[in-house]
Amino acid sequence: MPETTLESILEGRRSQPHQLIEVLQDVQECYGYIPEEAMKVVAEELGVPLMEVYRVASFYRAFSLTPRGKNMITICMGTACHVRGAKLLPNQVHGQLGVSAGNTTEDGLFTVENVNCLGACALGPLVVFNETYHHHTTPGKLRALIDSTREKEMEETTYEQAQ
Amino acid sequence: MSKLNNISDLNAIRKRLRSRRDSISTVITICGGTGCQASRSQDVIDAVRKELKKQKLGRKVLVRVTGCHGFCEQGPIMVLEPGNIFYCHLKPEDASDIVTKTLLKGEVIERLLYTDPVTSQKIQIETEIPFYRAQDRQLLAQNRQLDPCSIEDYLAIGGYSALAKTLAELTPEAIIEKIKASGLRGRGGGGYPTARKWTECRDTPGDEKYVICNADEGDPGAYMDRSVLEGNPHLILEGMMIGAWAVGAQQGYVYVRNEYPLAVKHVRIAVQQAREFGLLGEHILDSNFSFDVEIARGGGAFVCGESTALMVSLEGKVGEPRPKDVHTVKDGLWHKPTTLNNVETWANVPSIILNGASWFAARGTKDSKGTKIFALTGRIKNTGLVEVAMGTSLRNIVFDIGGGATDGVGIKAVQTGGPSGGCLPIDKFDLPVDFEALYEAGSMIGSGGIVVMDEKTCMVDVAKYFLTFLQDESCGKCVPCRLGIDRMLEIITDITEGRGRPEQIDLLKELAETVAHTSLCGLGKTAPNPVLSTLRYFPEEYEAHINEKRCPAGVCQALIKYEIDDEKCKGCGICLDACPHDAIKGEKKEIHTIDQDTCQKCGICIEECKLDAISVA
Amino acid sequence: MKQYVTITIDGVHIRAAKGTSVLDAAIEYGICIPHLCHVPGLSDIGSCRLCIVEHVVNGKSKITTSCTLNVEEGMVILSNTEWVKKLRRNNAELLVAQAPNSRAIQDIAVRCGVKEVRYPFRNHDCVLCGRCVRVCTEMWGARAIGFVGRGNGRHVDFPLGVRPDFCKHCGSCITLCPMTITPCDGPMKIGEEYLCGKCESQLSMAEGISDTCVWCELGKGFQCARYT
Repeated sequence: MPETTLESILEGRRSQPHQLIEVLQDVQECYGYIPEEAMKVVAEELGVPLMEVYRVASFYRAFSLTPRGKNMITICMGTACHVRGAKLLPNQVHGQLGVSAGNTTEDGLFTVENVNCLGACALGPLVVFNETYHHHTTPGKLRALIDSTREKEMEETTYEQAQ
Repeated sequence: MSKLNNISDLNAIRKRLRSRRDSISTVITICGGTGCQASRSQDVIDAVRKELKKQKLGRKVLVRVTGCHGFCEQGPIMVLEPGNIFYCHLKPEDASDIVTKTLLKGEVIERLLYTDPVTSQKIQIETEIPFYRAQDRQLLAQNRQLDPCSIEDYLAIGGYSALAKTLAELTPEAIIEKIKASGLRGRGGGGYPTARKWTECRDTPGDEKYVICNADEGDPGAYMDRSVLEGNPHLILEGMMIGAWAVGAQQGYVYVRNEYPLAVKHVRIAVQQAREFGLLGEHILDSNFSFDVEIARGGGAFVCGESTALMVSLEGKVGEPRPKDVHTVKDGLWHKPTTLNNVETWANVPSIILNGASWFAARGTKDSKGTKIFALTGRIKNTGLVEVAMGTSLRNIVFDIGGGATDGVGIKAVQTGGPSGGCLPIDKFDLPVDFEALYEAGSMIGSGGIVVMDEKTCMVDVAKYFLTFLQDESCGKCVPCRLGIDRMLEIITDITEGRGRPEQIDLLKELAETVAHTSLCGLGKTAPNPVLSTLRYFPEEYEAHINEKRCPAGVCQALIKYEIDDEKCKGCGICLDACPHDAIKGEKKEIHTIDQDTCQKCGICIEECKLDAISVA
Repeated sequence: MKQYVTITIDGVHIRAAKGTSVLDAAIEYGICIPHLCHVPGLSDIGSCRLCIVEHVVNGKSKITTSCTLNVEEGMVILSNTEWVKKLRRNNAELLVAQAPNSRAIQDIAVRCGVKEVRYPFRNHDCVLCGRCVRVCTEMWGARAIGFVGRGNGRHVDFPLGVRPDFCKHCGSCITLCPMTITPCDGPMKIGEEYLCGKCESQLSMAEGISDTCVWCELGKGFQCARYT
């Protein structure tokens, strides 16, 4: 655990329990999830009982207690997206990758997440794939996107193995 | 930029900025809001800047990247001055044509013009587009005029003059009087009279008070607040300052849901700029008003849009609502008197101060005054943000502004008010958007989301959708919400999967009553609304699911079959290859069939078939 | 100097100290309003929604939990109307359908008037009343257990899932838990749950309520004939 990064997150916030959520958000951004070690350090430095840190980390969807996969697939489940058929998208992902919302594939390549409205409702169904927004997504398009990403990952692994 | 020490400094700088703004006549306005960013508007912005530099026009032409215009489906959007020429669906490759032909030669590029989906005509001038023209864009129009990251833009168009007027001429009591006379009611969903809330807070003794802007817009399908906060953050800050002066607060918070990264970024920049200019801090504009604002991000919880949950979340804890036997205006953030208002409520304050209460009250109905921004989405031609006077009919919004149905499929209902609201059928479309009118009909204005549903939408599925949403977002503290919503969902799932029994409808209604009356907070209390309103207006759909095990709209997967039409199928095999579950069988050039046991109804085969041979039965 | 106010519960005038909850005031006078998550001496969170009453203001009734409502001069409370009984009964039904393997919850359900359970039984071993969490946090200041997660996933757990060394095994959490009271004939078979409630609730004894209810002389705590 790079102590310096956690250190910089905690700077100026020590002994300020009300900063807990902001601190955890920075931890999430930095590590991609909230490691147990980080929770212990945060508890100590902010003066918040560990139980409370764990409680907050488990309550909010922005925080993940398990490491995320290499590629993030976020599916918008807002009302506007839903009436345009967004319901088919998690099914598609489940059929193709075998994982449901909030989980990561065994090979660690993909994490799927549902989010309750991204605010781009006119362009639904919306899927965010590694921070890139894809609008008017259909099961077919999503399938193709996952396939092409997987191929690229395979190429990279083969390349790395060849080195 | 140096600090503004008093009001005359403010007026002087405004004059300078205004004349500088007026001196540039060629302006390219490009929308940089979240919606257009999703359509890659940043690439267009970069391409235009590059092209201008290439043609050495960088100094003569101003590129202004604005916030959301509210017409996201047409994005990326651009408006050119002079001429008010509107271009849409832009790609980076269009940049060179735009600069060379339109800017330099005044030629309009037909293929980039907006096509009215109703008349199929091309429209050149922004203000003539029916979608915009039919609205009353008191708040949204400003988004078009300014770069949200520029306090100079905001000042140039008159920003912070309401604050100046407040500090120079108006006592806190006078401000509350104005707000009261205007009839402003909360725009976040509750519709609580704003002046009453401010009075209660002001009257609560205490030196430490807070004002909060609730930007946790959690209703799926609603993005009005995103647009205003992202596009015009100083407007919100100004409103909060005026409110803080009125109630006696020295500290404000803007709580933004973390799913809106652009809004967070822009409001942070705005606060920073306001501090630099001395518009936030000690003795603002040489008055005895000191005020500062902090930005807080939500953690991804719909329940944090509820006022007590939001305050608890600001304190760094889990967003579990507290009982509201004592109002938050008396016992709020850190147990101090707190005024919490929605983004749009704060946004309306400066114009009420500047233009007067009767100006605001001139629009709207008897009890619902002013304009309201709605997010009109779903199965209609024109989707986007619609700002109209209260009292406008749903029919007007859906058909005149929205342009009516897509795909020639008949419109069946609108869902208003998000998960707390209800569905209203087409014969209720003459209802005005008014707090009481929609509430009596079994729905509510809510935060302003309007989702249009057509014959292909299953209303039982809609009820199931909202219950699933609420079950996921419930904090889990109280029994009726945690267990009641769960059991309602269990019953509705039975109904959508062919296990429904007639007596379940009565149980559903009784459970709904219990959840509505005994839940601890608004989430639980309003959770039954989607179920109750769909039961009230679409009982025949429930009956079909229960008695006939049939889904009339063809949505509920357990009750539908995908079938290949023998007469249309040519045996090309595209669907067979595409099916991820190997549910389609057939030899080449022979009619293919779908194995109903394996079929997961994912919809890919329908998408891939070029002959339209697969349909839902 | 303690300040006192007079409130009316079901027509009875009651004098209570300012800062007391309506529930505490009622119980002290022997009017037993059913409750589950309330524990004397610990904070009231209003999560079980069984202690609901009608609070009448300007002729209109508002349903609220009596444990979180503090007494005020002239307050009018109705704790036993048909409407309140129905709402309370429905909440109790939800609880017993969730956890039928608890003698205490079975008893509460029957006492709140549940006659049939209209939902499929589930066999959960926690109803999230929070008594254990509050005693550990408030009485001992230990915070060795707490609530984790949200909505349906909400459950009680140790910090990071591991019993901390500052848990002194005091057993307070177990004593207060409505689930740990021994079932009479042994646990109900899964799939064969039913509404029972024939046993005495140990809950009232654990709380040490000694007064007799003013409505009858049958006994203590939940033993109120008017709820059956």
